[in-house]
Amino acid sequence: MNTTDQRICLWLVPAFGALLLLAFCIFPGFFPPLSPTLSAEEVAAFYRNHVGQIRASMIICNVCGVAFIPFFMVIVVQMQRMANPSRAFAYSYLSAAASGATLFALANLAWLIAAFRPERDPQLTMMLNDLAWMAFITPVGFILAQNLCLALGIYLDARPHPVFPRWVGHFNLATALLMTPGAFALMFMTGPLAWDGALAFWLRIGTYALYLGVMFFVVRAAINRQASEEGAAA
Amino acid sequence: MTGTSTAAARRLRATKVPVLTKTRNLDQWICWWSIPIFYSVFGLVFVYLTRLMPPPSPGHTTEQIISFIQLNATHLQIGIVVLSLSLGLASLSSGIIVVQMRRMQGVSPALAYAYLAALAVAALPGCLFCGFMFALAAFRPDRDPRLIVLLYDMGLLSFVGSLGCFVVQYMVFAIAIFLDEREIFPKWLGYMSIWGVVTELLAIPIWIFRSGPYAWNGLISFYLGTIIFVVWEFCLVVCLYKAIKAQPIDESLQGDDSLAIAR
Repeated sequence: MNTTDQRICLWLVPAFGALLLLAFCIFPGFFPPLSPTLSAEEVAAFYRNHVGQIRASMIICNVCGVAFIPFFMVIVVQMQRMANPSRAFAYSYLSAAASGATLFALANLAWLIAAFRPERDPQLTMMLNDLAWMAFITPVGFILAQNLCLALGIYLDARPHPVFPRWVGHFNLATALLMTPGAFALMFMTGPLAWDGALAFWLRIGTYALYLGVMFFVVRAAINRQASEEGAAA
Repeated sequence: MTGTSTAAARRLRATKVPVLTKTRNLDQWICWWSIPIFYSVFGLVFVYLTRLMPPPSPGHTTEQIISFIQLNATHLQIGIVVLSLSLGLASLSSGIIVVQMRRMQGVSPALAYAYLAALAVAALPGCLFCGFMFALAAFRPDRDPRLIVLLYDMGLLSFVGSLGCFVVQYMVFAIAIFLDEREIFPKWLGYMSIWGVVTELLAIPIWIFRSGPYAWNGLISFYLGTIIFVVWEFCLVVCLYKAIKAQPIDESLQGDDSLAIAR
């Protein structure tokens, strides 16, 4: 079986990952992350003073933010190769990946809409800013579901040579666990669980970046095994 | 059985098969359990914690809406945190239903995929968007009162009034059940799913009425629809249980013969 399509989807990760990293670095509100304790006036001033950078960063995210979907679908394809009793986890994973992507798109829209008219009533700008941060940081449920399904699929994989090694299952569960604090940013203005906090922001984003990096190599190895197994069988 | 698959079976017996795989259909059972767990959490979040079910009235004055948010702020926030952590479980219920729909005969996978896609879309407009709106209101209850009212409307209207995704979900499920020659699900579940479509249509007037039986908290638009939904979901869980139980032991969905033996 030809694995070219899977390899193309795989290499979209470093390509778009680099662009997203660039967007992340351009955004003026990430170093340090914008505090939820800022007043409406201060938030409005942030948008007025940095409108160019905010737009540049978020336009890149708008174009590239959903670009990991093809990579997740490669994982779905690999999950379908697993000797699981059914494809239940693969389909669940697909569904969770699709739902999760809509949330990043929502956060991105809120940032761009806030920057569209920086002279807007500061109360409105603050509300859009709140929405952007909440939609960006807090909805971790779909990532949890994705990682849980992948981990369970790996544990149930009865192939003599499993599609993914066991530790990838543990790694997915650990990643999921480290991302859960993000959800609490809905209710904290200050401290490590606020959206600018060490746990909700840096741990969550750092973990996810590391996760994508490791999964890139894990999935690449799985595709290589698939190619060699099916090449030998043919 | 061919010679190669006997050899594969021998090879598999020689390999250490993970303990977990000894339970038949374990993956489907995990997904099956996610449904009662998810709806218990859902009930806890919407009925007890956030008090958004049954929904507060669309006829509330600005003062009433603000006091609803202020008095409930902490409960709303805890509830929405729980929702944002657990909503992914809904994906697992899609997964198992697609597996069962794909077992049907005389039906292409199109309907199963449509079911999965419709529900993947529904998660944001039909549930989490509402959570965000109330999270925004509870995060800063001292916002301009007009914004609090706007968030209240956006939250409850999206929650009760996101109809199309669920219409498609019920509709494709009903069509698949009617066409299925294998009776994976009983035909009456198909008729019940048609009632699901009807309940979504009965919620259309919430976009117009602010009081009475067709408001977002009304007897017909909310209560009748919710009761039918709860009964439908209960029947679905029972029918899924029976369908998994009735699944023949050698049935392979992964389509890999040499591995079907491992089950």
